[in-house]
Amino acid sequence: MNMRQRYILLLAALAAAAAAVAIIVHGYRHRAIPPALNLGAVLGTGTSSGYARADHPRQFRFPRDFGPHPAFKTEWWYFTGNLASALGRRFGYELTLFRFSLTPHPVRSPSRWSTNQVYVAHFAVTDPADRRFRFFQQSARAAIGLAGSQAAPFRVWVYNWSVRAPAGADWPWRLHARAKGVALNLELSPLVAPVLQGDQGLSRKGPGPGNASYYYSIPRLKTRGTLSLEKRSFSVKGLTWMDREWSTSALAPDEAGWDWFGLQLSDGADLMFYRLRLINGSTSPMSQGSIVSRHGHVTRLTAADVRIRILAHWRSPRGGTYPAQWRLSVIPEHLNLVVTPILSDQELDVGIRYWEGAVNVRGRCNGRPVRGEGYVELTGYAPGPRRPGP
Amino acid sequence: MVGVVWHANFRFLSRHPWQIFLAVLGVALGVAVVVAVGLANTSAMRAFRLSSRAVSGSATDQIIGGPGGLRERLYTHLRVDAGIESIVPIVDGYVEAKDETLHIVGVDPLAESGTAGDLAGTGAGAVRRLLTEPGTLLLGRATARRMGLKVGDSLTIRCAGRRHTIVLAGLLPSAGAAVAQDGLAITDISTAQIVTGQIGQLSRIDLTLPRGATGRRMRARIAGLLPAGTRLESARARTGTMVQMTRAFRTNLTAMSLLALIVGMFLIYNTMTFAVLQRRQLIGMLRAMGVTRREVFSGILVEALFLGAIGTTVGVALGVALGEVLVHLVTRTINDLYFVVSVTQLLITPAPILEGAALGIGATVLASLTPALEASRSTPASAMRHSAIEQRAHVLAPRLAIAGGTLAATALVFLALPTRSLVLGFAVLFMVIVGLVLIAPLMVAWLSAGACAVVVRMPGRSGGVLARFALRGITASLSRTGVAIAALMLAVATTVGVGVMIQSLRVTVRQWLSSTLRADIYVSVPQLDPGRTPQTIDPRIIADIRRIPGISGITSARRVTIETVRGPTQIVAVDFAPGRTPRFRLKEGDARTAWADFDADRAVLVSEPYAYHNRTRVGTDLRLLTGRGYLSLPVAGIFYDYGSEQGVILMHRQLYERDFGDHGVSSLGLYIRPGMSTTRVITAVRAAAAHRQMLIARSNRAIRSASLKVFDRAFAITGVLKTLAVVIAVVGILNALMALQMERSHELAVLRAIGFTPGQIWGLVTAQTGFMGFCAGLLALPVGLALALLLIHVINRRAFGWSMETVLTSSVLIQALVLALAAALVAGLYPGWRMARANPADVLREE
Repeated sequence: MNMRQRYILLLAALAAAAAAVAIIVHGYRHRAIPPALNLGAVLGTGTSSGYARADHPRQFRFPRDFGPHPAFKTEWWYFTGNLASALGRRFGYELTLFRFSLTPHPVRSPSRWSTNQVYVAHFAVTDPADRRFRFFQQSARAAIGLAGSQAAPFRVWVYNWSVRAPAGADWPWRLHARAKGVALNLELSPLVAPVLQGDQGLSRKGPGPGNASYYYSIPRLKTRGTLSLEKRSFSVKGLTWMDREWSTSALAPDEAGWDWFGLQLSDGADLMFYRLRLINGSTSPMSQGSIVSRHGHVTRLTAADVRIRILAHWRSPRGGTYPAQWRLSVIPEHLNLVVTPILSDQELDVGIRYWEGAVNVRGRCNGRPVRGEGYVELTGYAPGPRRPGP
Repeated sequence: MVGVVWHANFRFLSRHPWQIFLAVLGVALGVAVVVAVGLANTSAMRAFRLSSRAVSGSATDQIIGGPGGLRERLYTHLRVDAGIESIVPIVDGYVEAKDETLHIVGVDPLAESGTAGDLAGTGAGAVRRLLTEPGTLLLGRATARRMGLKVGDSLTIRCAGRRHTIVLAGLLPSAGAAVAQDGLAITDISTAQIVTGQIGQLSRIDLTLPRGATGRRMRARIAGLLPAGTRLESARARTGTMVQMTRAFRTNLTAMSLLALIVGMFLIYNTMTFAVLQRRQLIGMLRAMGVTRREVFSGILVEALFLGAIGTTVGVALGVALGEVLVHLVTRTINDLYFVVSVTQLLITPAPILEGAALGIGATVLASLTPALEASRSTPASAMRHSAIEQRAHVLAPRLAIAGGTLAATALVFLALPTRSLVLGFAVLFMVIVGLVLIAPLMVAWLSAGACAVVVRMPGRSGGVLARFALRGITASLSRTGVAIAALMLAVATTVGVGVMIQSLRVTVRQWLSSTLRADIYVSVPQLDPGRTPQTIDPRIIADIRRIPGISGITSARRVTIETVRGPTQIVAVDFAPGRTPRFRLKEGDARTAWADFDADRAVLVSEPYAYHNRTRVGTDLRLLTGRGYLSLPVAGIFYDYGSEQGVILMHRQLYERDFGDHGVSSLGLYIRPGMSTTRVITAVRAAAAHRQMLIARSNRAIRSASLKVFDRAFAITGVLKTLAVVIAVVGILNALMALQMERSHELAVLRAIGFTPGQIWGLVTAQTGFMGFCAGLLALPVGLALALLLIHVINRRAFGWSMETVLTSSVLIQALVLALAAALVAGLYPGWRMARANPADVLREE
């Protein structure tokens, strides 16, 4: 070996030693932060026994029933609305506050953080002019004032997202939500009285006893306020639909999901219909709805009363294919409507995925043209964990 | 030609394997110590950073509060009313479980993700149990396995003297962060509040703010929303402050490890010089054959590099093994003195290994530069002469001594600089050491000349001849003996210096303990985390204790850590028993007026380290952030204190309660009426606490010995390093003696041939090594004392702000002499035996 070879040998030995060190070191790289918590899974686990059940018609009283029913496992306050700026720019919004009881009975503990009540809220704004759909989620325990609900004065909140009655009055409610540059401040005044869905507010979802929810709606709330998107602020007006539902049992095992329609028509009528889809693709006979005339007359609709044809589909970039346009016929009312989303992608991806979007309605009622706006909710189309349902 | 050089060198080394072995061992030991200390230090600190990151996640800032933390309502206010997102509440503390200390971190699993609340990967059922079942926790997989726990098992934990039964609800996701999760227990915030006794309180609120202008705007907005007594602080700065707290401790360890490396460097130098000396003939021949100087030079350098590389590799491996031991010593000390950090395994990080490797190879090359230059410079003819280098050594010795003296003197000038830099302190220390070491060869020459003069006058002919022979031998090969003696001297001087320093500190601390601890019995809450978690004694127990007969007075104290601009600061709020005026020794301030002002809530007292670090003097106004805004009070006196190196502020309990709104008591001092039995009162105290809270009640004597035990533990690691330095020095002496033996085998053979017995030869060698040891020991005394003075008055002062008396006992000095002699004699055993046994005929025939 000559000198140069030996230098090379030496360098090679040193390089090998350095490489060994590097490998050892690499094995010790750490990441301490795991990815996001699967909220749906946490809330979805646990049994249904020990909770109250929606198994008989009950007396609804207000404002008591604006507030929570903690003996039931699941409950929600659903606000969806179509808004327009002074210049006619369209927007849709959703603010939903879910309540979950993690155990049938309250947790006993000296700490004020202990609770079995958990709230999750979804907030979404549809902006078809910019083709943008923004959605956000927050979750909180109903402890030390972080989240909660109460009947009088009415208030439901998750952190700084809230809907509440003003001090000393029942109405108008103030809706407030703000997240990452999006802020919504609305005033809601009811144009109609609460509508009890199903059998006097008992809405059956499956064949078993107690496989039902208590469900009422205020389908028409006059809405005005401001919407801020990043640096721009819009003064907006429109209509909001509020759904209130509470229950303990989830969907029946053979049910895959549901398509919910809440449509406010130009003739003053408000149509609600949900189609429960079975795993085999057919429609459950438990599907039902109601139509409220401009005079406040409520007509119950059964699965046989409504025919739905899907006119278009939309494939989610996150996986799954959703129906994206419908022909909806309410046979006894001679109502024929085409329901079209104002933006295809109104899918919320918040651990679980579902589509909740603003729609336009065109059609005829008894031969006369009718228009309208509304919201459609589609669940069970995306693979992955199921959204807790009624 | 190069091939010839390599070949010749290779053959030479292969005929002297022990020489290679000792050289490699020298490098390896030096590198091992540096690597081990580096790894232990970084392991402890990284574990701390990692676990705080595992707890804080991506948090950029923290909101922190007064002694009791934050009111939980503040979180609601910020999150709900002010609408501030990405904030998470944290309640944490330390609990004892199955002989382990667990860091309990209470989180809100529902709060914004990305931070501690992030429990993804943990089973949904487990998170649900955390939320709905008080008394459930999650552990890392490794921690659970070590504690022998399966999911669903329950265990008893103790915190602040209270027992809780808690169930393992699940395991933390193993995201490769095993070290970060070590000793970490995640619970729901409610469970953490209950277990750590912080109902209604939060330890802190973590924030994740964006970078840049938006982040700054938000920070300003949040700061404006905070009530008095709370503060917003950058998370990094905060972890930094905690790490900074241990800086002085870790710097000291690093300096100790470098000392070991220096001793190792002497060894390498010795080996390489000797290797060159031995080959002078060979080199001369090579040069005569036409090998150039450059080739000789690079040949030796490559050889050194090669030995250095092998030694370094072995050293790194040894260092990792040694690090395993040291990391436990380091962690224990940090846990005793600073904050809880759970490290159960050594974290092998690149920096200490690379540093150790660079130092090892660099030191080898540096140490062999002189011999390589020396070999290449010599003319072929002179290279063949043995005596050339020795002559040069004798010429060099006085010059080295002058250079050394100048270096040491310059270093002392640096001390006069108006700075408190610890690093500069160590630089001075090393300069003085190197300077004194350089003087050593001249001293050795003088000492042996002096000894010769004495021996000449001694009666008894043959003994005198042998003794003179031995002494002259040392002087004659000064280039090797001088270096070996210097290495041993340095190692022994280190033990003297460090020994005197520790002894001085220990005596000072003992005196301080006896002047501070005046009560007969001390009652306290078992505290796992030094100072951070505010643990209090149950007021009902205090009421019961007050009723125990035989107690003549009670001093109560509250020790808390408050957040100040300068990081966490300890406050001790005391209410002295009536008539029991404290007898703290004051360093500054008039005792009478100082205590009068203290009693009247007009002033506070600060400890010496506090005053040192914060440049506080008597009369300086202190500004403390309290629940009622800023409190401004003058310092009336500075007292000696060795309990905390960050320093403490002593204030009257009344003042503390008023301004901080905290009525808790952390410890009690009980004075007993004369004639009463201490044991009986302790039993009564324990009875009062029984079933309510586990309290520690200890007699004055017990607490003193416990304190000294902590002290001794803190210096255990120093002892280990000291021993290593001596081991390296012994290897050095052995090396030098082996070299001498080889070189002088001819002379010895002649002596044997003219009638000296093997026993006499053995005696000669022993006398020689004994004298070398004696020289090293003698020289080590002044050097060690200089080292001690520097450690006491410069290093300790700059590192900890402590002043102490220098305590010098003859035993330390005698031990040093004995150590040096013993080390030398042990190292001389084998060479002596070999020399005595050598067959003179064989040796002479080789000529």
